[in-house]
Amino acid sequence: MIIVAEVALALGLWQIIGGGGLIPTPFQIVLSTWRILSSPSFADNLFSSLGLTMSGMGISIVLALLISYLSLLPVFAPVARFVVKCRYLTLTGLIFLFTLLTQDGHQLKIGLLVFGIVPFFVTTLLSIIDAINEQEFELCRTLRMNNWQTLFEVIILGRLDQVVEVLRQNFAIAWMMITMVEGLSMSEGGLGTLLIKSNKYIDLSTVFGILVIIFGMGVLFDYLLKNLRVWLFPYSKLQIRK
Amino acid sequence: MNEIKIANYTKEEVLMAVKGVHLTFDKPILRDINFAIHNIVRPHIAQGQVVSLIGRSGIGKTQLFKILAGLLVPDSGSVTLGVDQRTVAAGDVGMVTQNYLLFNHRSVKENLKLALRHGLRQLSHAEQEQLIAGFAENFDLTEHLNKYPQQLSGGQRQRASIIQQVLTGHKFILLDEPFSGLDALMIDKVMALLQKISTMDELNTLVIISHDVENALALSDTAYILAREPGKDGSTITETLDLMSMGFAWDPAIRQRVDFQRLVDQIKHKI
Repeated sequence: MIIVAEVALALGLWQIIGGGGLIPTPFQIVLSTWRILSSPSFADNLFSSLGLTMSGMGISIVLALLISYLSLLPVFAPVARFVVKCRYLTLTGLIFLFTLLTQDGHQLKIGLLVFGIVPFFVTTLLSIIDAINEQEFELCRTLRMNNWQTLFEVIILGRLDQVVEVLRQNFAIAWMMITMVEGLSMSEGGLGTLLIKSNKYIDLSTVFGILVIIFGMGVLFDYLLKNLRVWLFPYSKLQIRK
Repeated sequence: MNEIKIANYTKEEVLMAVKGVHLTFDKPILRDINFAIHNIVRPHIAQGQVVSLIGRSGIGKTQLFKILAGLLVPDSGSVTLGVDQRTVAAGDVGMVTQNYLLFNHRSVKENLKLALRHGLRQLSHAEQEQLIAGFAENFDLTEHLNKYPQQLSGGQRQRASIIQQVLTGHKFILLDEPFSGLDALMIDKVMALLQKISTMDELNTLVIISHDVENALALSDTAYILAREPGKDGSTITETLDLMSMGFAWDPAIRQRVDFQRLVDQIKHKI
């Protein structure tokens, strides 16, 4: 209740003080948001961005899981460690290389998205694997499981709910990156393309309107993924509560 | 009454032999550990046995626990098992850890099924269901079978964890501090549970590793005291108590006996 009152007060002050300036007022942003939402091209742009994010996330999680699971084999451990360090590589400097490596704009965007997300995925997944209690592996051994059965039981099946949590946390990164990568090839449209075009013409009420939509979609997906975890893996609710 | 019991048992073949076990990490942990667990046979009575390894905290009990379970290889010495005295390997011996570990992503029933799947016996689906239902009923877990381990109380988890090991087909089950963190009422229940497990099959052997002298001695047929000798690094077996020949085994009212309490006090001072 206090939060709602504080937000209302802040928006009210913004509306009163901010009128007439370069920054649009909350009322102008609401109108602009509604205009974007009701425009015929909005659905196309939204689904273009969502499709790109989902494809990027899908490929990234598969690659990240593969790298993380393989990191248990000594020969692959350095590869995983290198991927983790790739978090510090800037994507901007690699755009030209990716342009040479890919065949079209869509591939370029997917490639950059995957390259941007995978290191974060792998970092979190490796920390989950590191945090596994040694006793779980010992329990498997006393139950006469072989190494593959132990890997499946403890690391894959036993941590599947946490993979969904990693997915949720990293969806934010992918969703933030979408505006950047969509700017590299605008032919497919997308929310990022809309944002860049509006920025170019200093149409700030549209920029803020798109930001509101991007923020809203992000919060919605965060909520959905959080509930998906509990729905698919009921025991995770008990662990969170604990 | 005790003399009658004592007269009616024989110690036969060695079930587990621990010979010259040494373990050093940064400093010596275990030194020259030697003991043997024999098959105790009482005519016309199907009863396994309970053996205790008693020592104070930090003496190396958990390391010895892992060595006995085949999970940790000692620097020297051996642990052999069975009539053929083969070297113990992980999976030969059941293990119930202090925190009663189960897989949190599986329900109690699935945890028990997993044990059967990797167990020594090949059972049909119906036989598995029947066996689990039987154990659950016998150990008061029927209404908890579909719960996840985190929804269980400590006692329920402990029962589920022990049953899991029994279902795997282990005759030797190691229990790390089974009385730790339990109130008096729960300790009585755990002792009754362990007695029940040991009497289920005459080949069942429970090895309790504990710092709780009174409860461990009250339940055991044989107890080994793990302690450090003055001036020597690393703990070793300093004393073996044959509680059967001492007349302290198989007596439900053991804790009320003055001579037993005297023994408990003596051991407490020694560890």
